[in-house]
Amino acid sequence: MSAILEVTNLHKHFGGIHVARHVNFSLDEGEQSAIIGPNGAGKSTFMNLLTGYHRCDAGKVVFEGRDITNKPPHTIARMGISRAFQVSSIFSKMTVAENVRSAVHAQLRRSFSIFGAASRIGTEDTDRVLALCGLDAKRGLVAGELAQGDKKRLELAIALAGKPRLLFLDEPTAGMSIDEARGTMELVDRLNRELKLTVLFTEHDMGIVFNHAQRLTLMHRGEIVVQGTPAEVRANATAQQVYLGEHQV
Amino acid sequence: MNADNNHWWSRLYASYGLSGCVALVMLVFLLLVPLLPGKFWTHVGTEILILGLFAMSFNLLYGYMGQISFGHAAFFGLGAYATAMLFTRLKTSGGEIATVDFFVSLLAGPPVAALGALIVGFFCVRLTGIYFAMLSLAFGELLFYIVFSWYSFTRGDDGIQGLLPPPYFQDAVHYYYLTLLIVIAALAVMWRITESPFGYIMRTLRDNQRRAAFLGINVRLHMLANFVIAGAFAGLAGALWGPFSRSVSPGLLGWQESGIAVFMTLIGGAGAFIGPIVGSVIYTLLQAVVKMYTVYWPLTIGTIILLIVLFLPGGVLGMIEKRLRARRGAGAAAGPDRQS
Amino acid sequence: MDVAPYLLQLFSGLSRAMVLFLLSAGLSLIFGVMNILNFAHATLWLVSGYVTYSIFTFLSEQFGVSPWMLLPAIVGTVTLMSLVGFALERFLIRHTYERELPEQLLLTFALVLILGDVIKLIWGLENRRINLGVQPIEMLDTLVNPYQFVIIGTGVTVAVGLWYFLHRTRFGKIVRAAVYSRNMVSALGIRIPMIYAMVFALGVGLAALASGVFLPLLPMSLGVDHDIIVQCFAVVVIGGFGSMLGTFVASVIVGVVYSFSILFWPDGALAMIFLILIVVLIWRPWGLFGTEMRY
Repeated sequence: MSAILEVTNLHKHFGGIHVARHVNFSLDEGEQSAIIGPNGAGKSTFMNLLTGYHRCDAGKVVFEGRDITNKPPHTIARMGISRAFQVSSIFSKMTVAENVRSAVHAQLRRSFSIFGAASRIGTEDTDRVLALCGLDAKRGLVAGELAQGDKKRLELAIALAGKPRLLFLDEPTAGMSIDEARGTMELVDRLNRELKLTVLFTEHDMGIVFNHAQRLTLMHRGEIVVQGTPAEVRANATAQQVYLGEHQV
Repeated sequence: MNADNNHWWSRLYASYGLSGCVALVMLVFLLLVPLLPGKFWTHVGTEILILGLFAMSFNLLYGYMGQISFGHAAFFGLGAYATAMLFTRLKTSGGEIATVDFFVSLLAGPPVAALGALIVGFFCVRLTGIYFAMLSLAFGELLFYIVFSWYSFTRGDDGIQGLLPPPYFQDAVHYYYLTLLIVIAALAVMWRITESPFGYIMRTLRDNQRRAAFLGINVRLHMLANFVIAGAFAGLAGALWGPFSRSVSPGLLGWQESGIAVFMTLIGGAGAFIGPIVGSVIYTLLQAVVKMYTVYWPLTIGTIILLIVLFLPGGVLGMIEKRLRARRGAGAAAGPDRQS
Repeated sequence: MDVAPYLLQLFSGLSRAMVLFLLSAGLSLIFGVMNILNFAHATLWLVSGYVTYSIFTFLSEQFGVSPWMLLPAIVGTVTLMSLVGFALERFLIRHTYERELPEQLLLTFALVLILGDVIKLIWGLENRRINLGVQPIEMLDTLVNPYQFVIIGTGVTVAVGLWYFLHRTRFGKIVRAAVYSRNMVSALGIRIPMIYAMVFALGVGLAALASGVFLPLLPMSLGVDHDIIVQCFAVVVIGGFGSMLGTFVASVIVGVVYSFSILFWPDGALAMIFLILIVVLIWRPWGLFGTEMRY
């Protein structure tokens, strides 16, 4: 399996705070991998750096052999990378279906199309994604009025509508009940299996991580401390120290 | 659910939302306006249409894209001046203009306004919120002062006078129907645009710009495109204004004029397609009537705006839409895959 | 080289700057703390001017015309208008904090229209000015209106006073903290609604002071507020919302640039101001002294 994403020497600081210290990281194609670490470890920032939301101070990010370092978010998105945010970031005044449909229009490169009725373009893709994420029954509801769990599902649906080959999920089960979390992660597993979608997610819940990640990366204070299978990481002494607060960077 | 689902107005509502129904009703009234005695109401009607078109163009930026432009009147004014200047060059020394030349001069408005919008928009789309508002205000005022002080080109504060339409259109009723035709056509195009994929993308920019970028949308480019389109429509309204009022003056570009578009949009409701036109009807009619009885029009409209902001934030159509939603049951679907 | 005309313009520019500062300081403070762009600020200033005029005229009738009647007139106006400001915030502005930006702007714009007509109703259409009978003095072979020095002096004094208030008093520090974070201040147990009302009152009070100081120099007339408010916006944006230092510096820049522009391009002097505003917004939207995080 080849590496779909290669990160070399990624470095970023905000003032005196180093949020990424010379990070080297790679993802294989079709992998489902998780980044874990205590709060403030730099997990979300790492994702922000990879998706163009922040500028890197140093380092390189290569996706499918192409350099995407410091490219703007919309360019990165068009190359086949999608992300879902930690706090649901949806289009609150539009309906669920319109949310997904807009993402489909963007993916179809029809965003400048002023001719043609929007509600009739991309119907097939929209319906497919809605069904996949279990939102079909709620397609007419206004997104801002959804329950929290549904908002996260919509968040995922919007990301999927972009037909990505690499999907970043920032705490996909945050705020969900156990059942909802399980349902969401089972969906992610399915997507990874059936669509050969490479997935990288951050998580706090160790149960989720051990059941749904093939590889773990433990970050602490902007550095990767341990990498390996869940079992390897769990047994690792340094990892235990990080979580117990004894680890010094 | 309801037994009246097959009635034609239910189907109209289902397809075109509240705006469609209101637009139809208004169209009937608008067609009949010239039947009223005297020329006064026809004049008012023309003013409603032109300023309504201006307000609609403003709402492309506000209701659909979520940005408030306080310098939008600059494009209204640019369109008015472009038409006025071409008009002045094309008319004979006797002060008359041929019908063909008249239409040619009208055609000058939108492109000039669109060009202005391209330049101004290039800078404005780098900002959002209050900063967008401030920058658009600054550009608007800058353009106002340029027109005001460049006497040799624009006649400055004197304005451009003598914009007498060709004989057929000097009749208020004929000019009214011409305006109505043009405005309906413009609105039809606007409707197509707002209901196209581009229109949906505008809504995503309104609701969550950051997310839109992560969908692969070049936010600035899309905002600029919409800004230019809105500018062009404002220019069209301006083009119609000159021959209607027989003159143009720099005030057409100022922030007070921009404010009128904002009032109308908020009175009618920014969330509905036809909201700004409804706002124009209310505002212009009110102004015409109130000014007949008192000179304290600012006090009147100021109080009304105050009351609307405090109690009717969605405007008239917003309130109607809310009532309708409530009647159809809480949590009911918002209609087949569309907003009104 | 004849320095005189330039010096004249400099003084004129500085006094103009001070009036702008007094007026914009309140605007900047109100926006910095409450995120409300008070369109009606210049109109409240105009109302204050008329009130000052009325009090001055009344006192002059009672006690004889004298420039010293201006002081109690100003004090009275500032007190009265601060109360008006307090009431406005308490009963009207308060309802718009949770609203969208255009609705807030429209509310204050509605006040512009309403107050404008209130002035018409009470005072009619004529201008009002106060003639203190101050004789111009000779400086460097040219005549200078000494009252300009009074204005400059007042402006600087108020600036220093405001600085002291914001940096050295408890209330001032609370206000500055609120500029940065409303929620934290509220969580500290300080009654935010009261703070807002008092800040608004303070802002309007400053505007009232500005009007009283301005009155002997130029007449107050209907419509002046429309011209001045956009200049105040320019000052506040250039200087940075919520920053008093920024407002002061920006006022000086705007005032002096305007004055010198009059020499070269009379009709376009205001265009220069907007050009500067545009440049600032493009290059540094949060202003010269504003904090980036507010942007």
